[in-house]
This record gives sequence, structure tokens and C-alpha cells, in this order.
Amino acid sequence: MSIREHSSIQAVRTEGRIARNRVRDSLPSFPGVPYLYILPFFIFFAVFLAFPVVYTLYLSFFEYHGVGEGFLFAIDLGVFAVEVPRISNVEFVGLENYTRMVGDGLFWLSMWNTVIITVFQMPLMVLVSLGVALALNASFIKLSGLQRTLIALPVSANFVAYSTIFLMIFSEQFGLANYVIQLVGFEPIAWQSDRWWARVMLAITLDWRWMGYNMLILFAGLQNIPGRLYEAAEIDGASAWQKFRYVTVPQLKPMLLFVIVLSTVGSMQLFSEPFIITEGGPSNSTITILYYIYDQAFVYFNLGYASALTYVLVGVVTALSIIEMKIGGED
Amino acid sequence: MTSIELDSVNKIYDSEGGEICAVNDMDLEIQEGEFLVFVGPSGCGKTTTLRMIAGLEDVTTGTIEFGDEDVTDLRARDRDIAMVFQDYALYPHMSVRDNIGFGLRLSTDIPESEIASMVEETAEMLGIEDLLPKKPSDLSGGQQQRVALGRAIIREPSVFLLDEPLSNLDAKLRDSMRKEIMELQQQLGITSVYVTHDQTEAMAMSDRVAVLNDGELQQCGPPEDVYRNPTNQFVAGFLGSPSMNFLEATVSSDGDTVTFNGDADFVYHSEASSIAEALGDRNRCTVGIRPEDLVVGAESGFNVTVTVVEAMGDENVVYAQVGDAEIRARVDSQHRLSAGDDILLGFDDDNVYLFDAETGDSLRTKDLDSAEETEKRITSPER
Repeated sequence: MSIREHSSIQAVRTEGRIARNRVRDSLPSFPGVPYLYILPFFIFFAVFLAFPVVYTLYLSFFEYHGVGEGFLFAIDLGVFAVEVPRISNVEFVGLENYTRMVGDGLFWLSMWNTVIITVFQMPLMVLVSLGVALALNASFIKLSGLQRTLIALPVSANFVAYSTIFLMIFSEQFGLANYVIQLVGFEPIAWQSDRWWARVMLAITLDWRWMGYNMLILFAGLQNIPGRLYEAAEIDGASAWQKFRYVTVPQLKPMLLFVIVLSTVGSMQLFSEPFIITEGGPSNSTITILYYIYDQAFVYFNLGYASALTYVLVGVVTALSIIEMKIGGED
Repeated sequence: MTSIELDSVNKIYDSEGGEICAVNDMDLEIQEGEFLVFVGPSGCGKTTTLRMIAGLEDVTTGTIEFGDEDVTDLRARDRDIAMVFQDYALYPHMSVRDNIGFGLRLSTDIPESEIASMVEETAEMLGIEDLLPKKPSDLSGGQQQRVALGRAIIREPSVFLLDEPLSNLDAKLRDSMRKEIMELQQQLGITSVYVTHDQTEAMAMSDRVAVLNDGELQQCGPPEDVYRNPTNQFVAGFLGSPSMNFLEATVSSDGDTVTFNGDADFVYHSEASSIAEALGDRNRCTVGIRPEDLVVGAESGFNVTVTVVEAMGDENVVYAQVGDAEIRARVDSQHRLSAGDDILLGFDDDNVYLFDAETGDSLRTKDLDSAEETEKRITSPER
């Protein structure tokens, strides 16, 4: 007889439960107390997420003139007064912030830069991470766990630290990248002064950082594909390529879609790398949309315009994600 | 349709604790169009053998031939086989229609329109034509198994392999699918190898049954032969439900009478010459009696105390204890027995099986007339 089935232990457990229930039932209950327990979450949610989201939308219809003075409104109840201070000194401008974008060359350029970097970076990363995940999933690979950890490690690198190192690697005169390129007999590449190579450099930097992370997601997906399906396909006469095409890809589709959407969203929000490595140059060719929003908000203090840009970016990212999911066939 | 021949097939796995022999020196010939069932307890090597025939598992040593062709080193996709898996292994992202037609699309140049009509035909044969547009996740276990069967038979393979295809189904569905698979196999006449741990399934379905234990083929023959003339104690105990009763006994002989003395009250005197002959000069052996051959209320026999009675309706299965041994008897339900009753169980000389106490080899089986004939069919009688 196992301990679990032992009658005296059963009795103790039952008695303990009954006693606990009796204590609970005898305590007075206050209505609404449960809500108190979940309140901290809602306070943090409201202050740090809900309020900024709503206030940004509000701000996008105003022009910002500085920190607010005085009160937005005050209610005098005789005994005491409620006074809501003015956060900012703003002036209502309607849709002007949005219409301003149409004629803003730098907005279009930063949008274009972001899209170009995404177009270089995302497919390359998905292909490389899929390839690495497939290789690590192969049965003949030794120390797969250690290799996975090493490959995924860059994701924990500090933004500034790794960006600085890539700045050195891609230094046109003294960098490791050009040294290797010259070693194998090619001309050095103008990573910092050519607008296209600067974008490619950012794409490579991003791929280095995020490839391991995406590889892990795809690897987990691969591990979840039942081996039986490959056996069934083998018996049905499938070659290695056909097994990949008709079993691996469809089975991995949700993970692939996740990686693609997440990478697109991430690339569209690119900021730290161009800020540190290229500082937006050469000639604004690596200014990303988020970089531009940052400049507008915290360099020029055009908070209203920056808010409007932010909402446009949210719209673009949402639209792109929806398109990707529609193409991916995710219901 | 082809014959299959396994010649000294071994399968050895490397593991941390050394080598594990999953299949040991298996010799077996499966005739064209035959329905052969591998049966045995978990880990006996039956699935491994099937997977080696399929080409999903490498053969360590030995050869496998389909007809005159050596397929030992051929890949599964080049062997012209079809397989039904225990968990069906349908492609979850494809419709039933695509699942069934997938193999044809990959391995033949049959035009799409013809594949479509072949799929319809197969589905109709299996009664799943309504399910064609559905995905496997929308189907019940029985329906999924039908789709898996359809996927296997549409290609008209020369060998049809089934790996415990019914074990995920409930009892009632299992019975009806069992019948359907048998009908299908008879209709198509494809050489079929079926793996199961369920001896009832093995007995009911097979042309020949191959009993495996610890990676070794114990006996192979028509189910009734194997049931009546088991080659050793393992086979005798494995086939039949409830399983055969075994009583260890010392043997003493006094003129024409042989006396068996077992645990507790088990004493058995026999004057049958065949029993004395089978024993030779042994002074110990194991006596085997099938539960259906035990009779309640016989004139002579041995006393037992009933421990449990399972009422089956038409009959009762009575469990009783003799010393350390448990005795199972199938008795007519008119005997109203209950736990604690003392009863006398008797049996006929003709129904006695004898096994060597050390090796477990059969010394005497039930049907003496056919024993010699069966001996010839046994491919690997040695343990």
C-alpha cells in the first residue's frame, strides 16, 4: 500500500482541509476585497500603458508648447477642492500634424529606410535561422544543446555594447570586416559612407543579434513535428526535399509566421543600432522611422507631431502584420 | 503481391549500458498473399521486425528479401510497401482527400483527374466518402484509421504492414475494424504483416501467427495449431484468455501409474501411456491445463478455494489458489460459485500439457495426431 492510500494520512489531510474551510467560513467577508488584490496590476497598467497610449493619441491633435502651468480644471466642493493640473501647454491643431507628414521629405525618407532595412534583414534572418534550426535538429549533430545556447547568446547582449563592437567591426579603415574582405582579395566596402552598404550593415547587425532567438523558436517548432509523419511520407515515396516541402514547412508554418511577423515588427521599430552605429548617416540614409520620431519628440520637442508619427507607425505595422498573416493563411 | 523472407535477421541497438539485442537471428518466410500476425508482449521485438521489413529501421545483420529481390539496403520509399501506424500518422495539414492521394501524387505519374477518381473509389470502399474534404483533426479515431487504411491500399502495394492499428480504438470499434481489415485483405490479396500485443486479435485475424519473446521467434504456424501445440511454456501461456494454468510438480512412477505431486493439494494420477512416454525419466515437470478444460464437480481432481468469480454472462471465470499458484477456470454460469467456496476441479488426461521444468519446452501437447505436422511448420522451434 502506498503512502497516498494510507488511511490515517487520508484522514489527516481531510481533517486539515475541513479545519481550514471552517476558519475561512467563520471570517467576516467584505464585498470587493478580491478586487483589492488585483488592483496593483491595474494601477501599473493604467499609469504606464493605458495612459500613454491614450494621451499620445490625444497629443497627436495638438501642438506642444511646453510643460503645463496652472490647472486643467478645478472643482471646489467647499470643504476641499479637487484640482487637476495641466500636464502640458498645448494648442489644438486638428489634423494638421497628420497632413504635415504628406509634405515632410524626411518622414518619407525615414519610412523608406526602415522598409529597405526590413526587406534586407527579415528574409535573410528567417532563412538563416531556419537553416541553422534544421541543422541543429539533425540527429547526427553533436552537442546540439551547447550549440543552441551559443547561437542564441547574442540576444542577451546589451544594445549599446554590441552596437559599439559592430561599429568597430565595420570601421572602413580599421575594421575586421574590411580586413577579412581584403584578405580574400576584394575591394574594401564603404560600410559607413555608402548609403546602401550602411543599410546592409545594419541588416547584418540585426541578423546577428536576433538570428539565435528566432532559431530557437523554429527549433522548438521542428522538435514538435512528430517523427511518424516523416516515416509516413517516406513510405508514401517522398524524397528529402518533398518531406521538407510537404511535412516540415506546413507543420512549421505557425512558427514561421510568428517569426516573420515578430521580425517585421521589430525591424520597423529599429532605433538603437542606427542611433549608435551610423547616427542616421550617411546623408540620412539610415534614419529609421523610430529614430525620426525620437528626434522630433526629444530633440525638437515637437511632441504633437511625434505622437502623430507614432500612430502612423502603429497603423503601418498593424497593416503589415495583417497582410503577412493573410498571406500565411493563419485563420 | 510478393513473398517476404527474413534470413538470420538481427537488430542490435547501441546503448549506454552496452548493446541491446532487439531481434535475434530471425528466420521467417511469409507466403504471397498471406496474412501473418506478429504477437508478443511489449518489447519482444515485433514492431522492430515490422519496421525492418518496412525499411524504417536498419538491419544489423542478415537479409530481407521480397520475392527474389534483396531489399535489405533499399530505402522504405523504394520497397513498394504501405504501412498503417498505431497513431495513424495522417498529415494534419492536409484534407482527407489529399492524405489518401499523397502517395500516388509523389510516386507515380498518374494524372490528377485519375488520382481524384481513385481517391473517390477508395473512400467509397471504406465508407468515408463524406469525409474527403475534412481535416484529420475533425475525425474520430475510427474514421482516422479508415483514412490511414485508404492511404495504404490506394497505392496497391506489394506488401501491407500494420503496426498495432487497432490499439487506439475502443473495444466495440476494434471488433468491427478487425473484421473490415480481414475482409479488405482477402479482397485485395496483398501480403500483409500485422503487429499486435493482443493475442485475441492475433488468433482471430491471422493465416499464421508468429509468437515472439525477448527478440526471438518462439513459434510460427496457423493459430489453431499454435494454440493446441505450443512449442514451449511461453507460447502456451501467451495464447488463450484467460491464460493456461501451470503447476510445477514432482513425478513418481509406479508401474503403469504416473503420479504428479504439486503445491498444496495438487495430486494427479495418470495411467495414460502417452504421458509416461512424454516424461521419459524426468522427475520434475510443469503441468499445463487450459482454463476451459477444468471441470467443476468432477469425480476426482484437486481441491481449491475460490478467491474471485468474474461473471461473464454465459460463463464464469473462477480464480482459485493452489499453494503459490493461481488457477483460472472457465466454468458454466449454472455453477453458482462465490469467493471462499471450496471446490473440486477435475480434468481429462487428454487435456494435459507437459513442459520441461528447466527449459520450458513442450513435452506433450493436446492434439497428438497433428503434432508431427505442426513440427514441420515451425520455423524456429529452438529457444
